[in-house]
This record gives sequence, structure tokens and C-alpha cells, in this order.
Amino acid sequence: MKIIILFFGLLILVSGANYSVIVSKKLSYLSVSSHEIRDVFLQKRHTIGDQKLIPINLVGQDDARSTFESVVLGMDRNRLNSYWIKQHFAGVNPPVTQPSYESIKSFVQNVDGAIGYIPSKMVDNSVKAVYEF
Amino acid sequence: MIRRVGGLITLAIALHAQPYTLGNGLHIDPMFNIGGYFSSEFQSKNSEESLTFDDVAVMAYGDINPMFSYLAEFEAVGFYHKNLSTGEEKGNQKFHAERFYADLWLADAYNFRLGKMLTPIGYWNIEPINVLRDTTSSPLYSMLLFPKFLTGVDLNGYIPNVDNVHYHLFAQNNHDLDEEYINIPNTHFYGFSAEKELTNESSFGGSVGEYITLTNQRTRFIQANTKFDNEQWQMMGEMIFAQNNFADNDHSSTLSGYAQGMYRYTQEHAFIGRYEYYNDHHTNYVDNIAVAGYSYRPWYPVSLKGEYQWHSLRDENTFLFSLSVLF
Repeated sequence: MKIIILFFGLLILVSGANYSVIVSKKLSYLSVSSHEIRDVFLQKRHTIGDQKLIPINLVGQDDARSTFESVVLGMDRNRLNSYWIKQHFAGVNPPVTQPSYESIKSFVQNVDGAIGYIPSKMVDNSVKAVYEF
Repeated sequence: MIRRVGGLITLAIALHAQPYTLGNGLHIDPMFNIGGYFSSEFQSKNSEESLTFDDVAVMAYGDINPMFSYLAEFEAVGFYHKNLSTGEEKGNQKFHAERFYADLWLADAYNFRLGKMLTPIGYWNIEPINVLRDTTSSPLYSMLLFPKFLTGVDLNGYIPNVDNVHYHLFAQNNHDLDEEYINIPNTHFYGFSAEKELTNESSFGGSVGEYITLTNQRTRFIQANTKFDNEQWQMMGEMIFAQNNFADNDHSSTLSGYAQGMYRYTQEHAFIGRYEYYNDHHTNYVDNIAVAGYSYRPWYPVSLKGEYQWHSLRDENTFLFSLSVLF
């Protein structure tokens, strides 16, 4: 697992960040840490600062989602699946999903507190990038 | 009760909108998710063999709005039991309230939980069902030394301005919601627990508390726990020291704990070893228990487990095999 994370880390250093975590541009964050993002997407915490957040995941097994899970959440898919099964028993649901990068971006633009990830090349002044991976 | 539960499941299946995946329940609506589990167990002990459909449970939970949520779980324990040596059969199909609570979330630092819940102590007690565990049996530590359930209020959250420390401050000043279904019936139960997450893979914590049983036994305890868990290895341990004052002014102490290691050979196969110690000075019950187990999960929500227990009290040696499913 650590080798995979190291690999993705080196890949990012060599090629530049591929994906960005985005929030509404109305939010005051300049940046957030990977640990904060991880806690929000694992539904351990619901806020960063004073802002309540709604994490948005990409549906399916896209590369962006796998990279996000490995690099930011620090878990592979099997471990994440077992995590959510345990959370189901605790009465906690995983984040809602959107079918495409476009719909994630649109969701973040229109819903204050939404937080998602899209390819960095899609980031423009309609959303705010707060973390890159 | 069984008919009502069956009706609820039928209605939910008819209504559910999202594809079903085993172990994740049916997500009908953010306000209404359902799931459940069952476990069956074969035991061989003292030349007697038995088969038990042990737990049959259904649960529902959901978010009423961003601040309010609920969870309800009903379970029948010992649903059907057959002594394979004597042919004797018995069973209890009565469903009991295992968990029944509402949450009021005010901030990550302040979440109020009201109702009947799992006592938020350590690791084992908060994952009490067979399918989520890695051995069929539970350590005596988790069964005999504090009430598994709390019917009261629990204020919990992350301690503000402290890095990754989660706390619970809980209190009960009444009888349990379902007194037939608790390991230690009690009328008062107070405590505080905290857990520090060191990394994504490791944590430690502890708790202190006091409870008064229906027989007027007052017990104060202090407990500690630690865990390391990565893709391949899981190491965990918990221990508790309890001071008991009985109604006749007699007093004694109990010390118990366990250390467990698990090696995941593959995603599906794992080997488990556990050592337990239990010493109740009041009853002079002292046992050292070694457990060797194997776990096979063809899918994570389906668990097949076998284990053998060696007890220092020789006539307690036991073989256990179980099948459990979370749905």
C-alpha cells in the first residue's frame, strides 16, 4: 500500500497534479489538508472550520476515484469497502455520488458546502481549488 | 413481531431505488435505510456439540435533516438452538431492542445521542456482531465487566483544538430500555472515554466509569485500548480493572484483558491468535485463554470462521465454527 502511495506521490511530482479538490468560490478556504479532506469523505467529520460540508464522490471505478482513494484517503478499494460496511452497521452512509466530472463541478458551483474532485484542467474561476493530488 | 419485520423488509424491497449490494443494506431514501444480519454457530465443548442460529437482526437508520438522525435495531438472540448430542431443541424468537437512538448534531465537537446505544468503550464493544469480528467468540473482558448497552445520553465529538481526539461523555440514570437483553442490568451508569488517532493505521484510548447494578453492586472501572491496523496486519489489545463494592459491604476487584493479532494472508483469508486473561477475586475465577482462529471471507459481508480455545480451566476447551452474513 505504501508503495502505491509513494508511486502516486512521485507521479504527481514528476507530472504535476492531475486532480483538484474543489469547493464553492463563496467559501473562505484558501487550502485544506489531506487529513481534513479524508475525515470529511470518510464521514468522520462534517465540517472544516465553521462550514458544514457535503462530500461528493465520482460514481464507479474511474481513475480519478482510485487515485483519490489511494492518495488522499490512504485506502485501497477493498479496505474502503470493508470500512463502509462497518459504517453501515453504525448507521452512516458513504458520500453521495455524481456520474461525471461535469456534474460534480456543477454540484459544487450550486450547493454551498459541497466538496468534490475533478481534473485540474477543468478548474476555472467558477469553483475554488483547495487541494491538488 | 416476525411478521412485522417481514412486512417491513418486503415493503422496503418494493420501494428501494438504488441497486442492492450485499453488506450495504437497502438505501431507499436518505431518511430510510435498512439492513440486518444473522449468524449461526457450531460449538463442541465437553464432548457436547450444539448448533445455534444465534443472532437474527434487522435495523433501520437515516437522516431526518442535516442535524437529526436515528437508528433502530431489533435482534433475536438464540433464535434456534439444537443440542446435537442429546437432540434437545429450543429457541427464542422474541426480538429485543438492541439499539434505539436519535442523534442531534450541533458541531463536530458536540453530537448528542439519546436512547439505547452500544456503550462507547474500546474497540470490541462497538463492533459486537459476529460478521464484523474476526473470531466467533468474544473476550470475557467485553462480556462481563461493564454493561454492553447504555440507555441514556452520550455527548460525543472531537475535542476542539486537540488533534484527532474523539471523546464520549455518557450517562444513564434509569433502567435499561430492554432489561431482558443486557449483560449487566443496571440503574446508573456514567463514564468518559477518549481515543487518539495517531495515524491512519494506529490509535489508542481509554475510559473511566461507574455503574450500579440491580443488585446494588457498585463498580468503578478504568480501561485502556490500543490498535494497529494496516492491509496485512492487525494488532489490538484492551484491558480493564474494575473495583466492585457489593450490597453486603464486601468488596473485590477484577482484572481482565486481551491481546489479539491477525495476519491477512490474502483479502479473503486471515489467521488470528488471541490471548486473554481474566481474574475475578470475588468468585476466584481465574482463566488464561489462548485462541487460534481462521477467517474466510469470500466477500467481506460473508464470514466463515473457525477457532479453538485452550483454557487454563481444562474443561472449558472449546471448538467454534460460525457462518454470519451482513445484508
